[in-house]
Amino acid sequence: MSEVILSVNELAVTFRGEGKKRLTAVDNVSFDLKRGGSLGIVGESGCGKSVTALSLMRLLPKPAGDIARGSIVLSDTEGNAVDLVKYPQKKLHKIRGKRVAMIFQDPSSSLNPVHKIGKQLMEVYKLHFPKMSYEQRHREAVDLLRRVDIPSPERRMLDFPHNLSGGMKQRVVIALALACKPEVLIADEPTTALDVTVQEQILSLIKGLQRETGMSLLLITHDVGVVAEMCDDVVVMYAGRVAEKGAIRDIIDNPQHPYTKGLLTSIPSLSSAPKARLSTIEGSVPSLYDMPQGCRFANRCDLAEQRCEQQPALGRLGDGRYVACHKVAHQVVREEAHGSS
Amino acid sequence: MFLSLTVRKKLKKFRSIRRGYYSLIILTSLFVLSLGLELFMNRRAVLVKYEGNYYFPTYGDVIPGTTFGLESEFETNYHELKELFKDHPENYVLMPIVPYDQYFTDLRDIRDEKGNKLYPPRPPNASTEHYLGTDTTGRDILARVAYAFRSSMIFALLLTLIIIVVGNSVGCLMGYIGGRFDILTQRLLEMASGIHVLLCAIFFATIFPPSLWSLLFLLGILSWMGYTADMRVLTFREKAKDYVTAARGLGAGHLRIMFKYIIPNSIVVIIMALPFQISSGISNLTALSYLGFGLPPPEANFGELLEQGQQRINELWILGSAVATLVAILVMTTFIGEALREAFDPKKHTVYE
Ligand SMILES: Nc1ncnc2c1ncn2[C@@H]1O[C@H](COP(=O)(O)OP(=O)(O)OP(=O)(O)O)[C@@H](O)[C@H]1O
Ligand code: SF4
Ligand SMILES: [Mg+2]
Repeated sequence: MSEVILSVNELAVTFRGEGKKRLTAVDNVSFDLKRGGSLGIVGESGCGKSVTALSLMRLLPKPAGDIARGSIVLSDTEGNAVDLVKYPQKKLHKIRGKRVAMIFQDPSSSLNPVHKIGKQLMEVYKLHFPKMSYEQRHREAVDLLRRVDIPSPERRMLDFPHNLSGGMKQRVVIALALACKPEVLIADEPTTALDVTVQEQILSLIKGLQRETGMSLLLITHDVGVVAEMCDDVVVMYAGRVAEKGAIRDIIDNPQHPYTKGLLTSIPSLSSAPKARLSTIEGSVPSLYDMPQGCRFANRCDLAEQRCEQQPALGRLGDGRYVACHKVAHQVVREEAHGSS
Repeated sequence: MFLSLTVRKKLKKFRSIRRGYYSLIILTSLFVLSLGLELFMNRRAVLVKYEGNYYFPTYGDVIPGTTFGLESEFETNYHELKELFKDHPENYVLMPIVPYDQYFTDLRDIRDEKGNKLYPPRPPNASTEHYLGTDTTGRDILARVAYAFRSSMIFALLLTLIIIVVGNSVGCLMGYIGGRFDILTQRLLEMASGIHVLLCAIFFATIFPPSLWSLLFLLGILSWMGYTADMRVLTFREKAKDYVTAARGLGAGHLRIMFKYIIPNSIVVIIMALPFQISSGISNLTALSYLGFGLPPPEANFGELLEQGQQRINELWILGSAVATLVAILVMTTFIGEALREAFDPKKHTVYE
């Protein structure tokens, strides 16, 4: 039984809508990231993946966005746990970059355009280890660039971000995130903005670094194939809620939620029989402005029926396996307290 | 260097706009030269050789006349000394190009061709080395114009520094914090913008005797308020960018974000404001001095020269020198500003194919 390093419980995030109304972008999301493990979050565009990730860093745009409910518990090896939701804003810099680091989707905009790569890397050490000497910081920075497989790192230290290709930039971003040896790395679609050939390299780099450092990885993507390659566990999100979660192998072998099934048939490499055309799920995600009362997937679900007008609870099917769908309710082992709406 | 690729491209473009670029070079060189003005325009000699010893009186303590065998216990009169040494080839005095400073009152008995004594203001005359003539008290106009140029430039540069530092910091804070703080500060600045800078400066100058520092302070606190708007807007734009969130995610604090990320990335507004600031600093100082509330006499200033020149409109060399110099400086700063605008204007910079 692995120990949990980051435990998200019943997280709800709201944004300021028109007037006084608040829109719920993430609703009742719970998952556990195991120490040294890797967890994938998949879902379509707009389902709240980035919002979830930003909440974990307490980086939601204020005052528009706000964590309305829930807890995010970060535990260390000695058994001390802190709730990041209640963590004082003034002390957040002790967590950010040092214990939990994040990589963003677009490397070309994640670097400060006016500073050299070397300066930006050394800056992180300045932030977290102010006593380090210039030489030490320089040595560490070059070493970092070497670890993310950047050729002739000493020379690259003197480059500006615009001198580097997208893949190289993302390597630098990864180096920045790894500078202080964080316990948790959150990667929000780290390869979406890159060329297909580069995507593979970056993913295997992240995987390799994870193995090397023993850090835990939270990988956000809309590609189940990537999760299958990179992660042990997966959370499938739909319209701000968890549709299904569990071990990636179980879910690929035996998807239960109609949405997960749809997602899986949309990737050719994983479907049993190769199809001529990708089958995508018909219809579109309901907007935040008019979320249905019942199952949020109902308007696209082939199996929708009367009771789907009630919100389905997240029910436990087996070891670590949860699904939120009325169709599988009869298989539920035990009602989860946090599954109700 | 903390300049992004686009800014450097634009500076390159700026270099290609000849008028502005040369104006910048000329004005900068003149200013740098003027820092050593004491070497070119001074009542003190540049070099004195006396009984085998060399003296460099330009900078440093007063050298009493007795050092060179004069009777005076006071500062050596180098003009006199030069006359004296004419008969002693082993001793000599090397005077600056213009052997007067801004305060030197020339009381020599100077006569025209007919033998009539000339009283100040005296017209330009190369033989007396008053190349632009003297003012009403016999002070050299060229020296006064040159020293006025230097003090005006220093004043304007320091004032610009104050305004840019304070104005942009406050603007950045407004944009960064946003919300109620932003709205409140904006209202306050709107109210303050009703204050007439010169009028207010005159009011205070009647209470406190003006000096370079008090004027700087006064104009500084009165003028920074107009320079918050651009930085505020740019901060709104810049703070929403990923690299700011990424830096926050790495543990960077708010001040660091503002001063290392947002302001360097918004350097354009600062660069664009520079020439305009400098010319308005010079104009304000001139206006105050013209009205008698600027640098106290006997300090040389364009305002004081203009005022005097206007009184003595028949002695055109006074007004002419002051106006010509002032216009030249203001035209050059305008050229620089214009070239910067052309180089940095995004509409002219982008090509839509
Ligand atoms: N600053 C904001 N203000 C208001 N609504 C927001 C804001 N940021 C995100 N949202 C809303 O939250 C929802 C979830 O957005 P999020 O960025 O998490 O999606 P995502 O799953 O990361 O999608 P993608 O795959 O496109 O990155 C969206 O409906 C979006 O409209
Ligand atoms: S609850 Fe109903 S509508 Fe929702 S996924 Fe299950 S079957 Fe489809
Ligand atoms: Mg996203």
